[in-house]
Amino acid sequence: MDPLILSRIQFGANISFHILFPAITIALGWVLLFFKLRYNATNDSAWMRAYFTWVKVFALSFAMGVVSGVTMSFQFGTNWPGYMETVGNIAGPLLAYEILTAFFLEAAFLGIMLFGFRRVSNRVHTLATVLVAGGTTLSAFWIIALNSWMQTPAGFEMRDGVAHATDWWAVVFNPSMPYRLVHMMLASGLTVSFLVAGLSALRYLYGDRSESMWKALRTGVFTAAILIPIQIFAGDQHGLNTLEHQPQKIAAMEANWNTGPNVPLVLFALPDEAAKENRFELTIPDGASLILRHSAGGIVPGLNDYAGNHPPVFPVFWGFRIMVGTGLLMLAVSWSAAFFLKRRHGLPKPLALVMVPMALSGWLATLAGWYTTEIGRQPWLVTGVLRTADAVGPVAGSHVALSLAVYLILYVLLLIAYLGVLVHLALKAAKDGDTSPLPGVMNRPLSQPVAQPGETS
Amino acid sequence: MSFDWPTLLPLIFAGLMGLAILIYVILDGFDLGIGILFAAAEDTEQDTMIAAIGPFWDANETWLVLAVGLLLVAFPLAHGTILTALYIPVFVLLVGLILRGVAFDFRAKVPAGRKHRWNRIFFLGSVIASLAQGYMLGVYVLGLDVGPGGVAFGALVALCLAAAYVAMGAAWVIYKTEGDLQKKAVLWLRTALVLTALGMVAVSLATPFASARIFDKWFVWPAMLYLSPLPTLSAVLFLWLWRQTFHLPKPGDRHALLPFLTLAAIFTLGFAGLAWSFYPFVVPDRLTIWQAASAPESLAVILVGTVVVLPIIIFYSFFAYRVFAGKATDLTYD
Repeated sequence: MDPLILSRIQFGANISFHILFPAITIALGWVLLFFKLRYNATNDSAWMRAYFTWVKVFALSFAMGVVSGVTMSFQFGTNWPGYMETVGNIAGPLLAYEILTAFFLEAAFLGIMLFGFRRVSNRVHTLATVLVAGGTTLSAFWIIALNSWMQTPAGFEMRDGVAHATDWWAVVFNPSMPYRLVHMMLASGLTVSFLVAGLSALRYLYGDRSESMWKALRTGVFTAAILIPIQIFAGDQHGLNTLEHQPQKIAAMEANWNTGPNVPLVLFALPDEAAKENRFELTIPDGASLILRHSAGGIVPGLNDYAGNHPPVFPVFWGFRIMVGTGLLMLAVSWSAAFFLKRRHGLPKPLALVMVPMALSGWLATLAGWYTTEIGRQPWLVTGVLRTADAVGPVAGSHVALSLAVYLILYVLLLIAYLGVLVHLALKAAKDGDTSPLPGVMNRPLSQPVAQPGETS
Repeated sequence: MSFDWPTLLPLIFAGLMGLAILIYVILDGFDLGIGILFAAAEDTEQDTMIAAIGPFWDANETWLVLAVGLLLVAFPLAHGTILTALYIPVFVLLVGLILRGVAFDFRAKVPAGRKHRWNRIFFLGSVIASLAQGYMLGVYVLGLDVGPGGVAFGALVALCLAAAYVAMGAAWVIYKTEGDLQKKAVLWLRTALVLTALGMVAVSLATPFASARIFDKWFVWPAMLYLSPLPTLSAVLFLWLWRQTFHLPKPGDRHALLPFLTLAAIFTLGFAGLAWSFYPFVVPDRLTIWQAASAPESLAVILVGTVVVLPIIIFYSFFAYRVFAGKATDLTYD
């Protein structure tokens, strides 16, 4: 068995599993802060109830993100030693700053945020929520900076085959970094707003009409409705940035085999890399030229210019289409739901039924988008600097196969357990409604006075 | 005054990495130990034990990420060499840490009937992670030797470290609980101490014979004299702590934190001994810290950040421990 392919599948599986959870925690931290601030401002205990429901989702997602993230940090060494040996001088400090500035911050204040509600003042608890949300976002900043540097490296020079930084500002704020960061932050926001809206819709379908359900539902739906058009615009800008810096990726995304003007937009096709053509093509004339160059005669790069040096076409082409398609679906669903909530002050059952599976639409779009950009970087690990094949370590294929198999089984089981707990928490919240007693808050007693430990952790 | 930065920086980072590993072993040591002790505890005791570590474990595990991160960023060559040689044990460790970490959260959130399953997974993950860490340490001490001798020595260290973690876990339970559970923890501590002491003697005896290089570092005059306080002091602390277990818990819960602090001191002494055995290698007999280090300018960039941020981290870690100081009660989200 080929250790290169197995190591790639293993890292792909690992990072795919990992990104699901940061995609939730990055934005959920801010949503929790919003719940908390609304409670501080209105003294309405329904906000706090929403907070307590979703803080459990946050805790679980955070734990899943931590353990899968630790696994990845080890895999750099176990499977890809060539990576750190070649670009360690760049990647090292970025990862170190992530751990030092973000990781510890989140981990230390998470305890206070989760369990400290009755041990610290309300103000300190709010501050802990701010710090955890800020920490997750800062974490994303450093990781996106490193990933973007691998896509569009800048601010370095090669000495004896090893990269050395010459301009740290240029390393961090490399050409694709601002676009990718915004795109990912919005993706996280959409993932969370659809998750919140979807699980609230599930509660709605189970007959829950509590204030906390409505508050979470509205927060999810309106956030999604606001973010999705911004995301479509940001995604377009990111695409134009990719056209400038990684044209071979755009060529694969559009399955465009020959450079030239009047390139059609391919809606559906089965790209055939051997024959260098698309089968069963469905196109809009001049579409790609119009989108990418804003003129029908605009020249779009084709794969023929990058023979032997471009990514595999099929997964990049389809990854991009799944992401865009999911995005359009998100637009339709969130705007319909926002319309009904705003104008009719209710939610039709069929729409609620659609919203439940859409709870995971953010995951689908995020994964499809990451597959597009990461597979789109191949055959390079660091564009123009290090090929993926040159970074793999001297580990036996059988060892990688063993670890890959166990990881896959573990991840599938954990994912099932995770989704099961989400549904369980939603249904439990639906059953409790607004009736379960809320504990007292320090400095600020709630209407229900008695502290009753709901559950332990 | 001028410093020779290219010489100094790798040394500083080796020290920082050692510090991160030591803090990790002490802090996550008690988490993992409590996980292992889960097998000996009743249902209600398990909840209290979880409450004693719940707010901290995440930050504790972060020290491991920092240690591996420092290895990765400061000594990229060593990082690759060590982790590819230890591929399978690292993989086993990660599976253990994954199971342990998620079980923490799942056991509190799944329907009541499934809680037992996650308790067992929590125990299993803690055992796997502890043994894997000990095994890795053993194989590493022998210069990444994975022959039969290396495996046997690794297995010996694995058991010893697991016993030491159990002792740490028991000491933490003594500090964080009261009543019957606390009394039970004193017995756990006594048993674990005996096992740890046996393990440490066996490892100390085996190490110099297994590695001629380490033998030469310890048993030469006058190094022997300067080093003699390390084993002597460890032995005295061990004996003293063992005697203490016959008097604990004391009236008014005096000295409840003392077992934990004593064990932390013993860990530190043992760690200092290890560090002396390795210096100046980061991969025993193969790579010195200077051969494996990153470019000085990259190390300088990280050092600036570390010097600024590390005190802040230590400060707010203390704050978090203070917020949850005192005896562990039921841990609730609200």
